[in-house]
Amino acid sequence: MVYLTLQKSQKILASSRQVHKTATHVVASSAPEETVTSSFASFIHGVQPKHLSKAVCHRSKRMILDSIGVGLVGSRTHVFNIALQYCRELYSSAAVSSVYGKPGIKLSPTLAAFTNGVATHSMDFDDTWHPATHPSGAVLPALLAASQMLPPSTKPNGLDFLLAFNVGLEVQGRLMHFSSEAHNIPKRFHPPSVVGTMGSAAATAKLLSLSTAQCTHALGIAASFAGAPMANAATQAKPLHMGNATRLGFEAALLAARGMEASPFILDSIPGCSGFSAFYSVYEPKPLAVPSDHHEFLLEKQDIAFKRFPAHLGMHWVVDAALSVRNLFINYAGCFSSSLIRTIVLKVPVSKYINRPSPSSEHEARHSFQFNACVALLDGEVSLSSFTENSIHRQELRELLDKVVVEHPEDNVANFDKMYGEVALLLHSGDVLTGKCDTFYGHWRNPLSRESLLKKFRSNASYVLSDEKIEAIIATVDNLENLSDSSQLACTL
Amino acid sequence: MWAKTITGNFANVIHGLNVNHLTDQVIQRSKRMILDTLGVGLLGTSTEICHKVMQYSKIYSSDTSSTIWGHLDFRLPPLYAAFVNGVAVHSMDFDDTWHPATHPSGAVLPSVIALSEAFSQKKKISGLDLLLAFNVGIEVQGRLLRFSSEARNIPKRFHPPTVVGTMGSAAACAKLLALDQLKCKNALAVAASYAGAPLANAATQTKPLHVGNAAKHGLEAACLASLGVQGNRQILDMESGMGAFYSDYNPQSLPTLQSYPWLLDQQDVAIKRFPAHLGTHWVADAASLVRRKLVGHGNNLLPLDQIEKVVVKVPEVRYVNRPAPTSEHEARHSFQFVACSALLDGCMSVESFASEHIHRAALRELLRKTRLEHPADNEPSFEDLYCEVSVTLEDGCAFSGRCDTFYGHWRKPLRKEDLEKKFQSNASQVLSAEAVEGIIETVYNLEKVEDCSVLSTFLSGQSARALSEKLHLL
Repeated sequence: MVYLTLQKSQKILASSRQVHKTATHVVASSAPEETVTSSFASFIHGVQPKHLSKAVCHRSKRMILDSIGVGLVGSRTHVFNIALQYCRELYSSAAVSSVYGKPGIKLSPTLAAFTNGVATHSMDFDDTWHPATHPSGAVLPALLAASQMLPPSTKPNGLDFLLAFNVGLEVQGRLMHFSSEAHNIPKRFHPPSVVGTMGSAAATAKLLSLSTAQCTHALGIAASFAGAPMANAATQAKPLHMGNATRLGFEAALLAARGMEASPFILDSIPGCSGFSAFYSVYEPKPLAVPSDHHEFLLEKQDIAFKRFPAHLGMHWVVDAALSVRNLFINYAGCFSSSLIRTIVLKVPVSKYINRPSPSSEHEARHSFQFNACVALLDGEVSLSSFTENSIHRQELRELLDKVVVEHPEDNVANFDKMYGEVALLLHSGDVLTGKCDTFYGHWRNPLSRESLLKKFRSNASYVLSDEKIEAIIATVDNLENLSDSSQLACTL
Repeated sequence: MWAKTITGNFANVIHGLNVNHLTDQVIQRSKRMILDTLGVGLLGTSTEICHKVMQYSKIYSSDTSSTIWGHLDFRLPPLYAAFVNGVAVHSMDFDDTWHPATHPSGAVLPSVIALSEAFSQKKKISGLDLLLAFNVGIEVQGRLLRFSSEARNIPKRFHPPTVVGTMGSAAACAKLLALDQLKCKNALAVAASYAGAPLANAATQTKPLHVGNAAKHGLEAACLASLGVQGNRQILDMESGMGAFYSDYNPQSLPTLQSYPWLLDQQDVAIKRFPAHLGTHWVADAASLVRRKLVGHGNNLLPLDQIEKVVVKVPEVRYVNRPAPTSEHEARHSFQFVACSALLDGCMSVESFASEHIHRAALRELLRKTRLEHPADNEPSFEDLYCEVSVTLEDGCAFSGRCDTFYGHWRKPLRKEDLEKKFQSNASQVLSAEAVEGIIETVYNLEKVEDCSVLSTFLSGQSARALSEKLHLL
């Protein structure tokens, strides 16, 4: 009966295929593609049913049938039941977790973590550590969301929260010490997507008080959720890396809490079958000292850098160097005048994704030595407004950018602990003015003062919150270790 | 507590750290970090990317919902339906395998079906649309696998479904969503940032998540691209893009659309006859041959006591080399287990992996006598590998059998009846006979189906009578 009915519909379908044919004549004459990526996009977009051969139809239908059957029988497995239970609970009608700056909106915990993680890295304004990663954005959103998820009787207090946060940082730091590659500015995988996911899993596992076995599995599962390539840095997709790190690490812990198991050797080195080592070419894991009375947290020995403006950390050296040479220039010439400058020489380390002579989007601008140096020279400061469309496309800025030349001195290592930035102005008069920065203000060697940190916070938060709320958050964080219910922090947002 | 592994050690530390371990400096510094992060996050909510993800995330509190295969009782939003169904497909390692190596269908089918249901009110998706999107997803995977010579062999570092599967799912969903060229590019770019899981979780319960995530993340990438999120437009071209997953990476453009040469046309998939790693299928066929020589064609028992040793010649594949598996996941990834199981029982089936079977005394005894050998000419590639099983008795007699191409491999595809039998056996565990036959009919005639939601209806287990009433209206 079903078959007869399907036969009737053949006629209707046949006529619609006629329409398809005429339409595709237009598509067929496409220009040669410039990149492999475009060729794929064109294929996906341009391919039509008429391109399907009989053999392909036949084979793919066999695959579809087999796949469905396998899925149906698979719905009786234990792993399936865990995944299902997990998803059902994620989408209960009570969305409980807060979203930064949106008091009326709540989302399910992992999506709130995702959204807040994206927000944190959306402008490349968040903290940076050594070895290189952005540690807090991968951990804090998950903890905030999780704290709101737990029932009132088991809410973690402020100290528990602070501990879980530090567990998340510590795990990230320790993992980065497993590979010498991690010490330098990354080239292959974006570190927050590698160690950040693991840190989030560890932190959430801690907050949820998982057993040791469950902590092992949380790490194992998280490894299977880690890793995004560098190529999406300097694009709008980069913030997703942070959102996913915090969300997926959180999911890994939730799955482990429900009994999901993974490889118990995920951090160990097993030749021929990669675990976490998959993300590095050189990998030498070392055990952590099990805490007795005292544990030396990495954060004790190695502080963090806070950014003063929303751009890649490397920009901060170049900007401080540019500002100092700008002062020299003003003393020399009375005021800043681009026309007196013949060439601007930037001495920076080699790092392809932050070397952009002519950025066209805000994301590219935040990852451009040239752009940041020129804005600092032109405006005397770099701030949020430096990255607006209007600012990026300013004529005077473009003119200045044209004068920039980049050099890579051998002693300038692509490493946030060792690099420096130098800006030299070669004037038409023949004079040369130079500014150099070894340690920018905000770097761990020259940390932001409390006043500067609070100024940055107030300025940022004032875009979306009232003064009262802003001061409430400052007070809550100041007193975090005395807070009896840490979910209050999330509720203030 | 001292742990034997670094992993265990990390877990101990995470578990064992308590508030007393926090020093003042650490507290002070971390509070600064928390404050700064909050401020930066608050500011960030005003960005365009953040508006898009918020819009996207709200979708999950709407009414759009998709079928969980085999479950009439509830539905899930498309993303999680794709995840759950993807996990189901790979949960027993029973799904299809291609060359170069990956499990292509599980990463794509769950997401396109889930997505097709999200349209139902607004627009009908035909069977042909579904078939096309599915094939786009398969094709993209196959093309990407050809960009690296590493991909030709059984993997060692990243589990291929998580690398190319995510991309395939994104491509398929982009097709179904009819995204324009630019958005297709961005779907691929965003998907790359979700790709890649290490192999070490194979042979554990987490492995099925790899396929679930590939389906889910590809769908998410396509949805984000559709909302306007942009990534690197040269994601497939760059070493720091898809190249990140391989040590040698040589991308090439696709052929032109005029009479497009699909990879599936040139290279079929292998369909598994029992739920275990593909490499074990050669072992099963070789072992069955040997068994017949030992006991003839009757139901005689294997003369266990007389067996001195069993040698299994296979290529070197670390994650399928397990002399004494203890879980079903490990058993599905053990050359030794399948060799002994097939020798004892004559053939492999779904039941071979049940706990009672894994822990049988006879099996454990035979396992102890079994070892692997890795001849130099036995390449770790699903195109080239072979298996030889030889059993030596106490009296010195030796029997051996060899398998170059198992039944179900692309060189020797399953016949229609056997493919159907596998489907019927699997599907009837959760669906009525009517629904089972309904799916077979629908899939066999997929290119003529006007509204593919009929497939989903069967999949959810809805009564077939209600269904045929629905069909009459078309």
